[in-house]
Amino acid sequence: MLRIDSLAKRFGDVVALDDCSFEVSRGRMLGFLGPNGAGKTTTMRTIFGLVEPDAGSVTWDGEPIDAGSRRRFGYMPEERGLYPRMKILEQVAYMGRLHGMGAGEARESAATWIERFGLADRAEDQLETLSHGNQQRVQLAAALVHDPELLVLDEPFSGLDPIAADTMSEILINEAREGKAVVFSSHQLDVVEDLCEDVAIINNGSIVVRGVVQDLKDAAPIRHLEIELDGNVDEVLDGTDGIRHTSRQGDIHTAVIDAGTDVRTLFAKAQRTGQVRHFTYTTPSLTDLFREAVK
Amino acid sequence: MTAWHSIRLVAAREIKERGRSKPFLITSVITALLVIGIIVLPGFFSDDTETYQIGSVGSGNRQIIQTAVALGNANDEEDAPPSIEIEEVEFSTREQAEEALADGDVDVVLVDGTELIVEREGGVFADTGPVGLLQQGAGAITLESIIAESGEPAEAVIEAMTSESLETTFLVESDDDTDVASVVAYFGLLLLYMAIILYGTWILTGVTEEKSNRVVEVIISTIRPWQLLAGKIIGIGTLALIQFGGTILIAFVGIQVFGEFDIPSIPPESLINLIIWFILGFLLYSVLFGAAGSLVGRVEDAQSAAMPMTIFSVIGFFAGFAVLNDADGFVALLTTFVPFTAPFTVPIRVSLNAIPFWQYLLSVGITLAAIYLAIRVAGRIYAGGILRTGKRTKLREAWRSG
Repeated sequence: MLRIDSLAKRFGDVVALDDCSFEVSRGRMLGFLGPNGAGKTTTMRTIFGLVEPDAGSVTWDGEPIDAGSRRRFGYMPEERGLYPRMKILEQVAYMGRLHGMGAGEARESAATWIERFGLADRAEDQLETLSHGNQQRVQLAAALVHDPELLVLDEPFSGLDPIAADTMSEILINEAREGKAVVFSSHQLDVVEDLCEDVAIINNGSIVVRGVVQDLKDAAPIRHLEIELDGNVDEVLDGTDGIRHTSRQGDIHTAVIDAGTDVRTLFAKAQRTGQVRHFTYTTPSLTDLFREAVK
Repeated sequence: MTAWHSIRLVAAREIKERGRSKPFLITSVITALLVIGIIVLPGFFSDDTETYQIGSVGSGNRQIIQTAVALGNANDEEDAPPSIEIEEVEFSTREQAEEALADGDVDVVLVDGTELIVEREGGVFADTGPVGLLQQGAGAITLESIIAESGEPAEAVIEAMTSESLETTFLVESDDDTDVASVVAYFGLLLLYMAIILYGTWILTGVTEEKSNRVVEVIISTIRPWQLLAGKIIGIGTLALIQFGGTILIAFVGIQVFGEFDIPSIPPESLINLIIWFILGFLLYSVLFGAAGSLVGRVEDAQSAAMPMTIFSVIGFFAGFAVLNDADGFVALLTTFVPFTAPFTVPIRVSLNAIPFWQYLLSVGITLAAIYLAIRVAGRIYAGGILRTGKRTKLREAWRSG
């Protein structure tokens, strides 16, 4: 289990991290969310010793992380980068060797991953001859080649087309199912909502929400409301207590409301206003939770 | 996995990838061709006879021309073709001859054995070439006629003019060993300087590679920054030495096969001494270039970062010349104990038998200490500046965050 405990880090006058704590268990996938500049990349870099925290600790299975344990981690940094002129197979194998694999073992594993990503016929090509999407796959292969126990991915979905994003999702689900601890950061909240059981939201360097996604939704003091009707929806919502946030997409009006709001009264009011076509009352989406947490 | 294992992985990748890259292969072929060219080409030209076209108007020119040819070839070896030949081109009028001179058809015009017409006055080489030879020839004839009464033949006059007439006494007689030693020391100096100038920028730009393609973050999540730096310096340095050594080998074989001169046999202890100091010097400068590379994020900034090392090596190079002339002087003593200059001057002092053993040992110690210190400093700068891509890192910032 990866435990990040009370991390703090300042860069000059800028507070990057302030009491950042969360955990990732084996076999689980954690979505690490936060606005730009909230401290996601700094936290991930701390795991790999690229940033030395001012306070707090990072442990793996209860032990402080050292060079030995780091070789059993896989990392895909936000700044993607590999050697442009190096052949794909050799490149991935080299990453395996840096993680302590033997030459033959590394080459074999690299070949397996490259084949799995459908790049077997490009194995002897230089990286720079590949499309952007394929380069991303090689980058992921470089993070997976040594069969890591912990996988840390910074924005793995950024810049991927929907098909490539689906492939990425499948791989991550599979890795978690095989017993790896997986943590990734993302801005695509819908992706995280689909993939992750666990979530941690960071804002201004502090973790503001963490836990199991479903539990968080159930326990949240807010609910998600969608209404579509022949008439003015504003008339329904105006004068109702506990409306936190409204928005509109086409004819569907969305509102985030306090969990204690009387829905029956609201529904009756809607019916009086016009013909109701669509009315849903659900636990909040991850996006709602995120907005509430970082506003 | 030990530190050494990581360093070896990095160095091996460097040698393999760089060694088969186009730039490396192309520069290797070009330097090899260049060296072969420098050795082989002079052979084609050196045996050539210089031919002058002399315009001739009137009579009394032939004797001067013949004497000039004899003077020009007086120092030739017996079997060799003559150094100069003169073709006499006769003109019936002075005007025709001047026209031919202006058109460049003849080099100079001789009139009636008493007058020279030269195209242009002045110039650095005015008194050499055909003009000088003809003047000497005419002078010799005049001299001959003056001496004729004494009964000496013309050949004796020419002999007297071209030989060394004075007996020479040397205070210090030539010692073959010392001569060879200074030639060897001179070449050692030149080779070290060339290696630093040629390959220093390889290391400097090579060290920026991981930062500019951003692969550095993945790599230093597994191995320590100093291990990456050390591996890069060892890898690129080894490759540089392979190319450099190969070029020297080609030059050596080329000189044996085609060369005009023989390579003196080098005393083994002198050679070992040269190799030791070449490696010490190359290592020290490589680490310094590596440290400079740690500070720059982009290849474009590399030149300015290389400046200090370039200046140090130029100082070392010229100090080497000073020490060749005066191997026990103040410059020799001072530069022996400065690590940047010791690799240039100490091997010279050793070759000339001009360094006490304690100074030699102290100098090796100081240089080794400097290399160690440079590695530590470079490693820390590298670690500190490693995640700062883009603009050049300030030395102080890199040191602090290292």
